[in-house]
Amino acid sequence: MRGILEHLHSSDTLVTVTDMEAGLEHLKRGTLEHAETLLIVVEPYFKSLEAAGRIAELARGLGVPGLYAVANKVRSERDEAAIRDYCAGHDLPVVAVVPFDDDVAEAERLGQAVLDTAPAALAVDRVRALAGRLLANDLPQPMGRVAD
Amino acid sequence: MKVAVAGKGGSGKTTIAGTLARILAQGEHSVLAIDADPNPNLAVNLGIDAETAARIESVPLSFTHHAKDADGNYSVGMDISPEEIVSRYGTPAPDGVTLLLVGRVEAHQAGAG
Repeated sequence: MRGILEHLHSSDTLVTVTDMEAGLEHLKRGTLEHAETLLIVVEPYFKSLEAAGRIAELARGLGVPGLYAVANKVRSERDEAAIRDYCAGHDLPVVAVVPFDDDVAEAERLGQAVLDTAPAALAVDRVRALAGRLLANDLPQPMGRVAD
Repeated sequence: MKVAVAGKGGSGKTTIAGTLARILAQGEHSVLAIDADPNPNLAVNLGIDAETAARIESVPLSFTHHAKDADGNYSVGMDISPEEIVSRYGTPAPDGVTLLLVGRVEAHQAGAG
């Protein structure tokens, strides 16, 4: 699998969004070769934060240029603060804060895309803003600001 | 642009990846969504119906060959271009996204990859 991913990532013309295997074991197999940007999705609880920290450490060791956290299922300011604190301590800029959203939960229940069931959902809005930043190359540069 | 989305299981990474791929495609970019999870479910988050999703074929590992250079370093080579892989194994998704499965572990090849 590593060969195929590396091959696809090496194409100059393709815009790719890769949904990686959960966890981090696969990173040691070179699955991030040629990825430019790694978004680490993190929930506001300890084990998720710890996992994100380990993924970031491994990816950094592999030389992935852009490492960022996407806070997900955030229910409160406390949730957001917990993620921002942890990520600031691990040199991982938080580039999007996606709230816990019933529209997402409902789409998951139905087995459909939230973009089709609730295109105006707040969670979708936050991902749209993230897409805009990616396209505009408006993410913190590596080794730059610790948090945005 | 090459974006990878990682995270702990259940973090919502697939929802983020699928939504992001479609939004990027709405901006008239030609987007390839790659599902590298051995238990793939990006298709559903892209808005592909469950019946179609169940029939999607994973890119076979047989295109991969391993080579050893003069210094004894191993490299992985491919016998097919990225564009050819996409046209042969890609599945169209809404907003013009193309989905590719590369990580599905089939019952008969468990342990491969």
